[in-house]
Amino acid sequence: MQAEIFENLQKAVIEYDVEAASSWARRAVEEKADPTKALDALTQAIRQVGDGFGRGELWLPDLVGAADAMQSAVPIIEEELRRTGAKRVLPGTVVAGTVFGDIHSIGKTMVCVLLTADGFDVIDLGINVRAEQFVEAVKKHRPDILAMSALLTVFASEQKKVIETLKKEGIRDEVKIMVGGGAISQEFSDRIGADGYDPTAPGAVKLARNLIGK
Amino acid sequence: MLKGFTRKFKPLEILSEEELETIHRGALNILETTGVRVEHDRALKLFADNDCKVDFEGKRVRIPPWLVEESLRKCPSSYRVKARDPKCDLMIGGNTVYFMQGMGMKYLDLDTWEPRAATVKEHRDAMIIADALDNLHMADGIFFYMDRVGIPAPMVMLENLASGIRNSTKVEHFGYELGCEKFAIKMANELGIGLDVELDSAAPLTLFKDPVEAAFRYVEAGINIQPTSGAGMGADGPATFAAAVTLQDAELMAFITLAQLIRPGIGLSVQHGLGVTNMRTGNSRFGAVGESIAGAMTNQLFRRYRIPTVTTAGFTSDSKKIDFQCAYEKALGALISVISGGNLHVFHGGVHAELTWSPVQQVLDDDIAGWIGHLLEGVEVNDETLAIDLINEIGPIPGYYLNKEHTRKWWRKEQFIPRVADAEPYPLWMKEGKKDALALAKERVEEILATHKPKPLTAREEQIVEDVLKQAREYYKKEGLISDEEWTVYMKTLESAD
Repeated sequence: MQAEIFENLQKAVIEYDVEAASSWARRAVEEKADPTKALDALTQAIRQVGDGFGRGELWLPDLVGAADAMQSAVPIIEEELRRTGAKRVLPGTVVAGTVFGDIHSIGKTMVCVLLTADGFDVIDLGINVRAEQFVEAVKKHRPDILAMSALLTVFASEQKKVIETLKKEGIRDEVKIMVGGGAISQEFSDRIGADGYDPTAPGAVKLARNLIGK
Repeated sequence: MLKGFTRKFKPLEILSEEELETIHRGALNILETTGVRVEHDRALKLFADNDCKVDFEGKRVRIPPWLVEESLRKCPSSYRVKARDPKCDLMIGGNTVYFMQGMGMKYLDLDTWEPRAATVKEHRDAMIIADALDNLHMADGIFFYMDRVGIPAPMVMLENLASGIRNSTKVEHFGYELGCEKFAIKMANELGIGLDVELDSAAPLTLFKDPVEAAFRYVEAGINIQPTSGAGMGADGPATFAAAVTLQDAELMAFITLAQLIRPGIGLSVQHGLGVTNMRTGNSRFGAVGESIAGAMTNQLFRRYRIPTVTTAGFTSDSKKIDFQCAYEKALGALISVISGGNLHVFHGGVHAELTWSPVQQVLDDDIAGWIGHLLEGVEVNDETLAIDLINEIGPIPGYYLNKEHTRKWWRKEQFIPRVADAEPYPLWMKEGKKDALALAKERVEEILATHKPKPLTAREEQIVEDVLKQAREYYKKEGLISDEEWTVYMKTLESAD
């Protein structure tokens, strides 16, 4: 029975079926399937989709569709994991947002969805986020990574302000900082003292893993 | 007034009347059923006072179809925007087509093909060239070179506007960010000029606080606006053209309704820019044919409402270089945009995405605009142009036309002569250094900068511009949006620029 459940969880992710994923997750809990193994099955499925993307066979809507399916199952299984006293090992926590003045959302949202699917715990602060809100969130959540987006050049310097404030507060070295968005370049990232930059959403996930060495 | 170009033939239509009606009704349904999120208390109240269903807590406005349609009818079918020199005023709407400077946040270095921040001089030069170009009708000092060496972020748009006003007599396009519209309105009012202002709605179905606040300020001041919508299809907008255009229609009509509630009869145009999403990277594909398809659909839809349109297909390309890809993506996008009925096309200077801009590209684009404009003007068919008598008089070979009065009179009107295209015979081309269009455009940039002197501001006008800039600088410093360190660099930048 457990094998059938794991197989169907994987199938749901590979077929982007949100309802089937949550339904098989509930079934896993009911049938007392090993929650760690259920999460492993989901992770294998999302990696399979990621590999397909890497080979150029699948596209961003496939990746995000699979991520959504996975996310409909993960909280159900995580709850069971907590109930049994076990703990899910996450690669890391990310605080993300689009900087103050900028109301562009979609790029940041794509990165958040893909990071979540890759297992990261993502706290999405939304758009038009002020420097002090980023700093407050870093203090509160103690993330491994702070991810900031800016589409317009006018607001890109806001990212620098966040980094400077973190330095003043003495917590800059406690968090890795990645930046992205239309206005950002590697040169800009280096200049403002960020730890990493990638021009694409899927690339941002790899970058996040590299930054924290996982 | 600048004449621009007149489209003298029926525009390209890609939808049937029935399809247009279906899209329109679909958009009305969305506005009545789901409505839009409006993050602005005064706007919420204004909608509520005018029979909209408003959920103040959820910031959701559901607009009845009759109010939307009444608002569409209140929009004038054309409107005049005043320039510093009345000869450069624009009348936007009808069959008139104008071209405007395009966007690109950074200066494109033509040696490395890499972007970098622009200097004060580079922005000034770009505006002087804009002033000189025949086929560029609206300046857009703000949306290119937003990354400026030594200018702090909150002042970039106002410094760019001032640079535009000082170095060009053409109408200025403007925007909003961080409340800079307060200063732009003051500058425009005191100079006695208009502005044409782009204000974003955000897909899907959201009007954020800042653009709505700016809409109140501009519309109450009687300044024309361009409500804008531009989802990425399949990302923050639906993947099909029919759905994406319908959603965009709902977003634009919500903004139009708001504008007409603030000040009935305010002149506006809609800027549309549905983007094609690169499904590998998540970025927009600016040179995609999909932008032209969506643009043609939207032009047709808004022509039905008798509201002018601002088009963006091909305003920039996906190429990083000024090359073959850049040329075809820009030229085809511009062509489809205006033959399908666009009134103002965002165009000159943009190279890659919204990231890079070049004065050399601006000069090349002026040739494309002229080429397309010549097509728009159509042909004249009358006794004189038909010249049947002349054809009968010349007869077969050895007759010819080169020495005729009719040729001398008409050939120049019938031909468009590009300024920087290579049209030399091979031997001449080799003798003159094998120059291509890019090389010729670089030479023209230098030639314009050496010879063109824009009409200067009067002492009074210069004082107005400088006073408003001073007020803005002090305001943003006081607000803490310019740090002491930025201020020092800023002041040094201004001093050295003078």
